[in-house]
Amino acid sequence: MKVIVDRTKCDNHGQCTFAAPTVFRLDERGILQYEENVDESLRDEVEEASDVCPAQAIRISD
Amino acid sequence: MTTELDVPYLDIADPGFAMHSQAVRDARARSWYAKTNYGYAILRHEYVSTLLKDPRLRQGSAKWPEHNGVHSGLFYDWWTKCLLVLEGEDHHRIRRLLNPAFSLKHLEPYLPRFEALADELIDDFLPNGQVEFVNEFAQPYATRVLCILLGIPESEWPTIARLASTIGLALGVTLQQDLAEVEAAIAELYVYAEDLIRDRQVNPGPDLISRLVEANRNGDSLSDDELRNALCLLIFGGMDTTRNQLGLGVMSFLQHPEQWELLAAHPELAPAAVEEVMRTNPTTTWVTRETVVDFDYEELHIDAGTTVHFFTQVSGTDPQAYPNPEIDITAERVGHYGFGGGMHHCLGHFVARADMAIALRALSSKMTNLRINGVDEWMPDSGNTGPVLLPLAFDRR
Repeated sequence: MKVIVDRTKCDNHGQCTFAAPTVFRLDERGILQYEENVDESLRDEVEEASDVCPAQAIRISD
Repeated sequence: MTTELDVPYLDIADPGFAMHSQAVRDARARSWYAKTNYGYAILRHEYVSTLLKDPRLRQGSAKWPEHNGVHSGLFYDWWTKCLLVLEGEDHHRIRRLLNPAFSLKHLEPYLPRFEALADELIDDFLPNGQVEFVNEFAQPYATRVLCILLGIPESEWPTIARLASTIGLALGVTLQQDLAEVEAAIAELYVYAEDLIRDRQVNPGPDLISRLVEANRNGDSLSDDELRNALCLLIFGGMDTTRNQLGLGVMSFLQHPEQWELLAAHPELAPAAVEEVMRTNPTTTWVTRETVVDFDYEELHIDAGTTVHFFTQVSGTDPQAYPNPEIDITAERVGHYGFGGGMHHCLGHFVARADMAIALRALSSKMTNLRINGVDEWMPDSGNTGPVLLPLAFDRR
């Protein structure tokens, strides 16, 4: 599956990194970095990341 | 570039200090930061946005009890284990377990009940043409919303409101003299919370407490103490803030009646109305961080352990980020920091956004020509602010 982050909405709060730490991380400047192509086994975690994002900037494209 | 001589100084401990003041606006026009009695204040949106989430800063409230001469006891123990002040993996683990229960999809089934509650409270005072907004609407609404979410009988709201308000005294500068009262309230809230948790462990339902009891991540779950601490934080953090923000919101619209009429005509703008009042008139007028390491940022050298205040209302009305900063519920805006930001971004923001949008929509649909009706009374315009008494008169729509 493909992870899409709308960078115009993302504000680097980092809540997604708690939900799916192997997919999302903040770099040393606090800017979000993430994997775009993610194994299906991580779907629940990425969905949780999308649910808890304060800016609602994350979606999954199948 | 701001030179050392140009750096403004703000006396934030002065009882007369006000966020909505020319002195603060002048400081923002001169410089992106100011010196204060303790640490720096960040004034402009661009800098708040960057530094608030900078990993070289941590939450700044951990030492609050110690700053006020409190080094042990029930309040000290609760505060130092509270999500609000935890950092690193201790924080992330708790936050990871709590977050999903506060997501929109779990909130949506409750929205019709919030709507019914807003209508019930408004219909009680509507025939009078006047209302003391804090005690007749904002406080019961904010507290009963919590009761609904937690699965507590709504009739118990006065107990919840009393405990939340008393524990809220802990955030005031008079903590020392209020300490006995605060600790008695924490002890009472602990018993109340522990009873609720025990009940939900045996009789789980659709409520938020049951979700927290059942929260599990790769075999990890919240211990009974962690559940209790979280529930206390929720009651402490969820009531006063929403009550105060509703009062501030109504006051903003009272001062901008054309915006209130616009909202009444376009109820679909209620979510934007919430964002606009939180941007221009937030209850949390600053959020506090502390530097973990020495670092340089632009021309500023900040030593480790320095307090940094992020001024939310001041950055939210920064003309560089908001060219026409006055409240406008039809404008496209960049985000504000009324809910803080970063790792410690407000946990309950989806709830607050939804319940305040419902309240403002319902109020504007039934009331017009709002005006002050007597003597209003306010907390200081700094820290966490809002009306203590807000007597209003209005015409029925």
